[in-house]
Amino acid sequence: MYFRILKKDLKRKKTMNTILLLFVMIAAMFASSSVNNIITVMGGLDNYFEKADMSDQFIINFEKNGEDNISPLLEKIDSVTDFRREQQIAGDSKQLTRNGKKIADFSNAMMILSIDNAKLNYFNKDNDIIREVEEGKAYFTGIIVSKLDIAIGDKFQFRSGDTVIELEYAGIAKDAFLGSDMMGNPRMIINNSDYEKLASDKSTHENNMISVYYINTNDIKALQSDLADLPPVNFNQGKKLLKTTYIMNTLVAGLLLILGVCLILVSFVMLRFTISFTINEEFREIGVMKALGLKNRSVRLLYLVKYLGISVIGSTLGFLLSIPFENMLLKSVSDNMVLDNDSSLMIGLLCSVAVVGIILLFCWSCTRRIKKLSPIDAVRSGQTGERFRKKSIFSLGKSRLGTTGFLAFNDVFSGPKQFGVMTAIFTVCLLLIMGLANTANTLASEKLLPLMCSTKSDAYITDTEMISKIVTGEVTYQEMCSDIKKKLADNGMDATIHSETLITPNISFKDEKCTTTFMFCRDTKASDYTYCEGYAPKYGNEIAVTYLLADKLGAGIGDKIEITIGDKTDEYIISGFFQSMVQLGETGRFHEDADIPDEMITQVMGFQIDFNDHPDKATVDERIEKMKDIFNTKYVDDANGFVMECIGADIKDTLVSVKLLVIAVTVIMTIMIAVLMERSFISKEKSEIALMKAMGFRTSSVIAQHTLRFLIVSAASAVIAMLLCKPVTKLCIDPIFGIMGAMKGIEYNIRPVEVFAVYPLIITAAAVIGAMFTALYTKTIKASDTSDIE
Amino acid sequence: MNTILEVNDLCKTYIINKRQNNVLRNVNFSISKGEMVAVMGPSGSGKSTLLYTVSGMDKMTSGSVKFCGSDLADMNENQLAKMRLDDMGFIFQQMYMMKNLSIIDNIILPAVKSDKKKSSRKNIMKRGRDLMHRLGISDIAENDINEVSGGQLQRACICRSMINSPDMIFADEPTGALNRNSSDEVMDELNKLNNDGTTIMLVTHDAKVAAKCTRVLYIVDGNIRGEYNINKEHSLHERERSLNNWLLEMGW
Repeated sequence: MYFRILKKDLKRKKTMNTILLLFVMIAAMFASSSVNNIITVMGGLDNYFEKADMSDQFIINFEKNGEDNISPLLEKIDSVTDFRREQQIAGDSKQLTRNGKKIADFSNAMMILSIDNAKLNYFNKDNDIIREVEEGKAYFTGIIVSKLDIAIGDKFQFRSGDTVIELEYAGIAKDAFLGSDMMGNPRMIINNSDYEKLASDKSTHENNMISVYYINTNDIKALQSDLADLPPVNFNQGKKLLKTTYIMNTLVAGLLLILGVCLILVSFVMLRFTISFTINEEFREIGVMKALGLKNRSVRLLYLVKYLGISVIGSTLGFLLSIPFENMLLKSVSDNMVLDNDSSLMIGLLCSVAVVGIILLFCWSCTRRIKKLSPIDAVRSGQTGERFRKKSIFSLGKSRLGTTGFLAFNDVFSGPKQFGVMTAIFTVCLLLIMGLANTANTLASEKLLPLMCSTKSDAYITDTEMISKIVTGEVTYQEMCSDIKKKLADNGMDATIHSETLITPNISFKDEKCTTTFMFCRDTKASDYTYCEGYAPKYGNEIAVTYLLADKLGAGIGDKIEITIGDKTDEYIISGFFQSMVQLGETGRFHEDADIPDEMITQVMGFQIDFNDHPDKATVDERIEKMKDIFNTKYVDDANGFVMECIGADIKDTLVSVKLLVIAVTVIMTIMIAVLMERSFISKEKSEIALMKAMGFRTSSVIAQHTLRFLIVSAASAVIAMLLCKPVTKLCIDPIFGIMGAMKGIEYNIRPVEVFAVYPLIITAAAVIGAMFTALYTKTIKASDTSDIE
Repeated sequence: MNTILEVNDLCKTYIINKRQNNVLRNVNFSISKGEMVAVMGPSGSGKSTLLYTVSGMDKMTSGSVKFCGSDLADMNENQLAKMRLDDMGFIFQQMYMMKNLSIIDNIILPAVKSDKKKSSRKNIMKRGRDLMHRLGISDIAENDINEVSGGQLQRACICRSMINSPDMIFADEPTGALNRNSSDEVMDELNKLNNDGTTIMLVTHDAKVAAKCTRVLYIVDGNIRGEYNINKEHSLHERERSLNNWLLEMGW
């Protein structure tokens, strides 16, 4: 008897049961894939570093004639427990060619490493350690991978000095140290005999040898203090900072995590709503069963058995679907990381079981109403519970709206719970997209210039070859600026040239010592930059530091710190604090009058060009193109492009692809919600639709009314999302920029048309189209169905 | 030309589980303006199907139905909808109303939708309130549909069916869900409407209700077996008795 009732129920309420099954499936799919992603991402970086055998501290140093000056010093430092030296050859994109053409365009320096000399574990695309590389083959790591103009198996040439070798592209490699978007130095991993051919080239040996030192310690603080006494090196940072270079991967992973949490919340809210909705619709059956003498417990058990069956089937299907969905989401993060989760199947299964449990809990709580439903409800069509509730909000007589518009508005405001749930879901979807778009747009905008410690200029040259000429001492900073100025003047573009140069002094305050990078520019004033506290350095012996550096040293405004540049140690007074994303926030700024010789410059941010005739934007753009030809480089940008170059163009591409993925997921979700909700509304409102048709309403009016309700809901979501866009973006994304050094938050680049028009329109269109196509089903309801309605 | 509804050889067939079910078989009858015709018959005889088919709510399988001279078979869905909105009124056994609207809004909804009279919203409201006043339910105008009795709700349904001053009202067991008192009140209202010139076709099981009409059609197995003209000059009691006798003769 019991199962016969159940069988009949499943057969008769096919539509609602199918809708419920679909929601269970979505919930299980989102829960399994999102929880797996969260676990994978949260422990991901630590696991990756461990697998790669990363050390506690890293040093990169250019070596004149391949001389190792660092190892003897490291051997004398007590805090160093052990260290490994990985010697390699430095190069740039111009050295990689195929039939005379460059195979990749990137501005950062690259390194060529012999696999026999590898002191880290490098992984192939299947996350297996690369233990050997065949002669004549090469793996590429880092940012170069996405820019390669060749496919696996293609031959290319690499020239270093006078030596040219031909190699075959063997595939990508994952490099834990330099593979992140923010480090951005690609490596080419080759066979030892190929490496030796290159290293034996005289010019290469003299000018292009570079070493990476992987240093381990038991006391990182003591080590960093000891390393502050080393002569200037190109890079000297700890694992902690290395982790922050993966911030963009973490940002993407974090966004996926937020997406996952949203998807879980949305699907469970929908599930709760659908279960409550279906049980409320079953008042008549419940009343009849009670009239026949079934006890509350028996009736409740009947529904629990039914929902158990649906949830087990739905969860199983959802679990199966979660596997490809999870891989799709993770792909965007794991291109340059080894991200895997050995227990993903088990976690997926547990999540699916949890979904079943949660559904039963929902069902248990929803079926509490069964106690209240009496046999009378069966007779009174279940109206008892709502008997004295005023439902009508507006008056048709007083309204200026037509019947379709009025009915739609009245329905939405008369059923605030069901339409409110949808509004909240659409708002969350929109906020997710808006937040992502704001982040992606901000990362590529001049709003981040102050965080790059740079002033606004007409154009910026960030060509590595030009910069490395200063770094290697081939030319001085002044000579390079004069050369650029002359070339521009020769081409009718009078301009002033300056650059933010980076100095890497040793600094100490009380017992704290460290090596860090300071910004210095003689051609601008320290007061041209933005400070958060205190004031800009006014004299040559004043400096400003970032909050992070101040924290590290334990120093405050007014404190005097000792700075050693070359052999000279001077006292400098901290005049103010600022925030910066350079060196992930650990930096400072000298006054323009500070006594710093050109040979102390370890890096240059880029050459900033300000045209003397103050041209308009179109002319500037035109000149930028011209400058690319003059200097034979594509790395000439405006302020937006400069910020992108500093952060890493790949980051924006990754964010854009994640944004597209999130848009696709949310659009699909919105359509599904609209379809399923509209289908359940049609099922619930069958009698009203039939009545409307009997009264003479056309099917098109009914479809318009139903579609309009979704338009109202999505429009309301758009308005709420617009109002919440800025605070929610700040709330969610500020902490991520904070990790990168922007402790006091940043000004977001909100593109009004994209954020406030395009995305709301996309979500609205998805909801409206989903609802409209589903509402076409009302065609099947005839006026004469009024006689068949229970 | 006095005929408002003319039905010739009307057939309606349903196919259920690949089996043909002939619900209406060659039905022929006509209704003149001002008539109040009751359709009676045993359960499953096709009374409601007949009502829904001749009112254009359901499609006929064959035959012809002419309403005010227009053949329903020649009309598309939109034309049928417009005809139902402007020229017909409907009353159902269950007092179907839009749940999210107040009583007065339910009543005026067809008038607001219709462009027949091109009245202002204010005039429509006045017409709705006048109708409610006439049927004695003006005090429930702003009430929710759950706050009124079945009798009041059915009278509100009558008001709604009347709001566009239709040529004909179709009523499917309008008193079927009401107690005797409410039933009498509703029938009195329908009689008043009929006396004012509105043509009514109603389906009923109740001889007492049918006795208040001018003519009774008796349908069995989808076919009209007989028709009985009621003498309005007789007392209600006499009309009821003679109708019962006729029904017994028909096999009721």
